[in-house]
Amino acid sequence: MSIDLRPRGGFLLRDPIFLSIALSAALLFAFPLWFMATSAFKAEPEIQAIPIHWLPHDFQWLAQFKLAGEIAPLWLYFTNSMVFSLAHVAGTVFFGAMAGFGFAKYKFPGRTILFLLVISTLMVPFQILVVPLFIEIKYFGWENSYTGLILPGLINAFGVFMMRQYAEALPDELLEAARVDGASEPYIFLRIVLPLLAPALVSLGIIVFIWAWGAFLWPLVVVQDRNLYVLSVGLSAYVQPYNREPTWGAAMAASTIATLPIACLFIFLQRYFIKGLTAAAVKG
Amino acid sequence: MAANAATGAAEAAGEAGRPPLDIRWWGLWFVLPVVVFFAVFSVFPVFFGFYLSLTDYDLLSPPLFIGLDNFRNLASDKLFLTALVNTLVFVVGATLPVWAASLAAALLFDQVFRGRDVVKAIFFLPVLPPAVVIAVIWRLLLHPNGIATSTVGWFNGISEIPWLANTVLAPLAMIVVHDWAAIPFFMLIWLAGLTGIPQEVRDAAIVDGAGALARFWYVDLPLLRSTSLLVASLATINAFQSFVLQFVLSADQGGPANSTLVLGLLVFKYGFQYFRMGDAAAVSVVMFAIIMSVTLLQLWLGRRVY
Repeated sequence: MSIDLRPRGGFLLRDPIFLSIALSAALLFAFPLWFMATSAFKAEPEIQAIPIHWLPHDFQWLAQFKLAGEIAPLWLYFTNSMVFSLAHVAGTVFFGAMAGFGFAKYKFPGRTILFLLVISTLMVPFQILVVPLFIEIKYFGWENSYTGLILPGLINAFGVFMMRQYAEALPDELLEAARVDGASEPYIFLRIVLPLLAPALVSLGIIVFIWAWGAFLWPLVVVQDRNLYVLSVGLSAYVQPYNREPTWGAAMAASTIATLPIACLFIFLQRYFIKGLTAAAVKG
Repeated sequence: MAANAATGAAEAAGEAGRPPLDIRWWGLWFVLPVVVFFAVFSVFPVFFGFYLSLTDYDLLSPPLFIGLDNFRNLASDKLFLTALVNTLVFVVGATLPVWAASLAAALLFDQVFRGRDVVKAIFFLPVLPPAVVIAVIWRLLLHPNGIATSTVGWFNGISEIPWLANTVLAPLAMIVVHDWAAIPFFMLIWLAGLTGIPQEVRDAAIVDGAGALARFWYVDLPLLRSTSLLVASLATINAFQSFVLQFVLSADQGGPANSTLVLGLLVFKYGFQYFRMGDAAAVSVVMFAIIMSVTLLQLWLGRRVY
């Protein structure tokens, strides 16, 4: 493989070569999602048609979505997922910013050890926590409830880590000036620090939303009541049990619904989206 | 007094006037909710989990302390050993190809060509859907008479392939699906690393007459060492924790014949299907140990590289 690293710009001849290689790779990777989204609008027999129908021949407007809602309470699952994810976003954004600010700008005794305590939890894979956490939540009597579903993941340690880095970059003089003007510490946090952290908080919020929206293991174990299912857990019911042939149109419609919120974030907030994902990966 | 002493020390160290102690304590109030939260929902469960791994516990009668018996049993537990081997195979398949393919994709999208940003966004799409959606879509694509079959059949005329019902094909399918979603994600990490390489360094290599391959090998790759390590360790850690694919996509959650049973799935099965909490905790402790060694190896290598 020869990689051309000539200075950027110029060389218009190579455009079509790179473009065609990149486009083939991109289309290959995007195909399953194209297939999902188009199948949500196909009639059932068309979905499995060979050769493949690239677009629905017999276009179904919302029939498959309606069917998906009849097979399972899709809209209830969607609402549960939204509440779950938005609570995690709000919790991590607010408490993450507050703790990040506290760790970055106040030299209180014991802050290093407390920060290490919070950050070390990032290294713990969730599978280690799931059994003891379930027993703990059961002991508190929160099994099968919104509290048990939402509370244990309400704050993500990554938020504290990320916000501490951003808060550290804020000028001390700014905080001093506010204090001289008689501002209290909570006022400084709420009215000065929080607005200054806003762009970073958007990136953080997006990444936390993606994580929460895809969360599966914890919602699966802590909730048995179907009315409390989040979308990812509810979705698995469309293809299970394994030996029953799924209703594919409904499954694809439900899958499309489950992808839509993330796709919207990607389309409308692409810059923050990429920033958040990269920051989350490079945290180590 | 203490505050004055602290202020004096700080000024001596070159820091401009530290706030007095009473303001500093505000920091503790700001971090306290978070610290309490993690103490209750992370730190305590970790230690509780270690304790549980030393007990026999079925959720009904109180935990019975049995020392290291659970771990001793694991050594001869067929299900555990199968899961361990399956996990290792999956990890190999979910790291090496991902590492190489995501680097190749990043190098491609690091080039300047018209339409690059749009094509890159299309390539990036598999990162968007939640893991369960990925599993549901691929259940359809890997249908015995589905699109994957007809694509392969176009070459050799086979009309039915049991992708998910064959003990060799099913684990392979898990790897392919995992890699499909992982490659665009890791491309992003490589791209962040590539963007960090100063253009002057590349220009200097060009002036010195280095060819494209030489520039990649001697300029880009050494400068990407930390990114390379990051991608390798993240991919490994993610692969070890794989659960959703094996739970939703595979036949009968880990089948056929336990060929897609991985450690993450075994924790779930022992804990929440057989209610053997002690065994589940023991398996999770083993997972923790493996993942921690990968993390430590990464830190150690990272230190050696620089």
